[in-house]
Amino acid sequence: MSLRKILGLLLVATIASGLHVFLSDRVWEQRGEVRRNIETGYVFPSRFTRILALGHKGLYADYLFLNTITFFGGKQMYQEKLTDEDWDYLAAGLEAVTDLDPYFLDPYVLAEGIMTWENMRFEDANHLLEKGTKYRTWDWRMPYYLGFNYFYFLKDYAKGSEYLMEASRRPGSPSFLPKLAARLSYYGDQAKTGVLFLTGVLAQTADENLRESLLKRKTALEGAASLEEGMERFKKEQGRSPRNIEELLEKGYIDKLPEEPYGGKWIILQSGRVFSTSKFADPLKKKKTEKKNPGGKP
Amino acid sequence: MNRVWALAVITYKEGIRNRSIFGVLAFALFVLGLNITVAGFFMREVGKVTVDMNLSALTFSGLLLVFFVALQLMAKDIDKKTIQLVFSKPVSRGQYIAGKYVGILLFVFVSLLVLVVFSSATVSLLLNLYPNYFAGFSWPMFFLAVTFILVQMAVLSAILILFSTLTTSSFASLIFTICVYLVGVTIEDVVFYVVSGFRTEAISPVVQEVLNVVAYVVPNFSMWDFKLEAAHGLLIAPARIGLGLGYAAIYITILLILSCLFFQRREFH
Repeated sequence: MSLRKILGLLLVATIASGLHVFLSDRVWEQRGEVRRNIETGYVFPSRFTRILALGHKGLYADYLFLNTITFFGGKQMYQEKLTDEDWDYLAAGLEAVTDLDPYFLDPYVLAEGIMTWENMRFEDANHLLEKGTKYRTWDWRMPYYLGFNYFYFLKDYAKGSEYLMEASRRPGSPSFLPKLAARLSYYGDQAKTGVLFLTGVLAQTADENLRESLLKRKTALEGAASLEEGMERFKKEQGRSPRNIEELLEKGYIDKLPEEPYGGKWIILQSGRVFSTSKFADPLKKKKTEKKNPGGKP
Repeated sequence: MNRVWALAVITYKEGIRNRSIFGVLAFALFVLGLNITVAGFFMREVGKVTVDMNLSALTFSGLLLVFFVALQLMAKDIDKKTIQLVFSKPVSRGQYIAGKYVGILLFVFVSLLVLVVFSSATVSLLLNLYPNYFAGFSWPMFFLAVTFILVQMAVLSAILILFSTLTTSSFASLIFTICVYLVGVTIEDVVFYVVSGFRTEAISPVVQEVLNVVAYVVPNFSMWDFKLEAAHGLLIAPARIGLGLGYAAIYITILLILSCLFFQRREFH
């Protein structure tokens, strides 16, 4: 081959490489777009996935789980609100994963971490956690999470206390569980019980994002607990309930309004509990904002 | 006995000299590398994911070894007519089958043991990287599962030998062996699905009968699958191990006897 030919070929290769880099950037961009707008997937019912796994149920469970968290993570990254269909997909995915490998801890932790806090899917989460409680017989966290859901979200204090007792009987469970269970059956609906519970959940959580949101909630609940304490003293001394939070401040039952990390305003509900106008939830960004800068590589 | 062993050693050496095993090694190393990469993607159960991936990598590698290399070891003699050379020596057909089987087993076991060394190194590495996320892990359970992968490969090799004696085309025996394997790993879930009340429509009694027969003829590979137990360090009743080994031994014996019978009647031109 002559030198000219070689140089010619090299030139073509260089131009083609440049084109390739350009095109591949476009490809990644477009794939990012496509993936974000993609319809929610369909999860095979687990009675089929068990067969499809061809004897590699554990591996298939890992793969499905990775798929599920990537889907959820992608939505979170762009702060998109998950539709009901998305949540159905997530629930079906976690269900399939735990059917393939019912001992797998991560899907249960994810279910407890997001399905309850972000979408009020208590039944789905509890259904999964019941499976976890059944199979992970050595793990106190499964009934603990269940107890927490019954207490905190479903306000079923008797059931919550029952699951806590179950958790306290399992090896390695923290020593405060029996006390917490007892407290729950007496004064179930107080913010302070929630603080104690969250402290326990926090001690078990390593994921930074989840920790952050739990810490925020704990701050909020601590605020609510201090207000509820003030209200208790108010009731004892004045013989009636305060009309609003400001009255507590005016009459000196609290020094200052506690921080409300979600940016809402403290209110007293008719039930006599302290809550916030933010409902202890982060405001979601509008979908429009992120369309202006379609993302690069995932 | 000496002749069987001599044949086995020749078969083993032939297998080890096959270049395809480097491909299998590369594949296994790739999966192990992938394992190291993705392990951190999981929240807590890094140990479980590691064991899953390692055991599955070993199984896939074992399958590749049996389906491709062991198949060649069986087919070559017949295709290249070297089998006539073997039979010109005082070797019976039964001895030939036994020798081939032992040789293939030796080859598959030695190759897999090399992979097990790499796999154990990967597990130890991840164990050191994420010591807090290996709560349920135990080495004895891991090696038990590995042992049963070897048992699976032993059964599969016997199936391969049976089909090699039945058909004249090595491709046909490959397809048949793969089919039996696929049925074997799924049969348990299918049978239990049919028995369970999950279905919406009634399944015809004919299908149920066929399934019952298939469940006897094809080995239930789930019996030798301890991947899930190893991944979570669950205890296994000794009876399960004993039954699994017995089931495999009897099944292999039947297959080898059948292979000898078929091979006796075969003519080589």
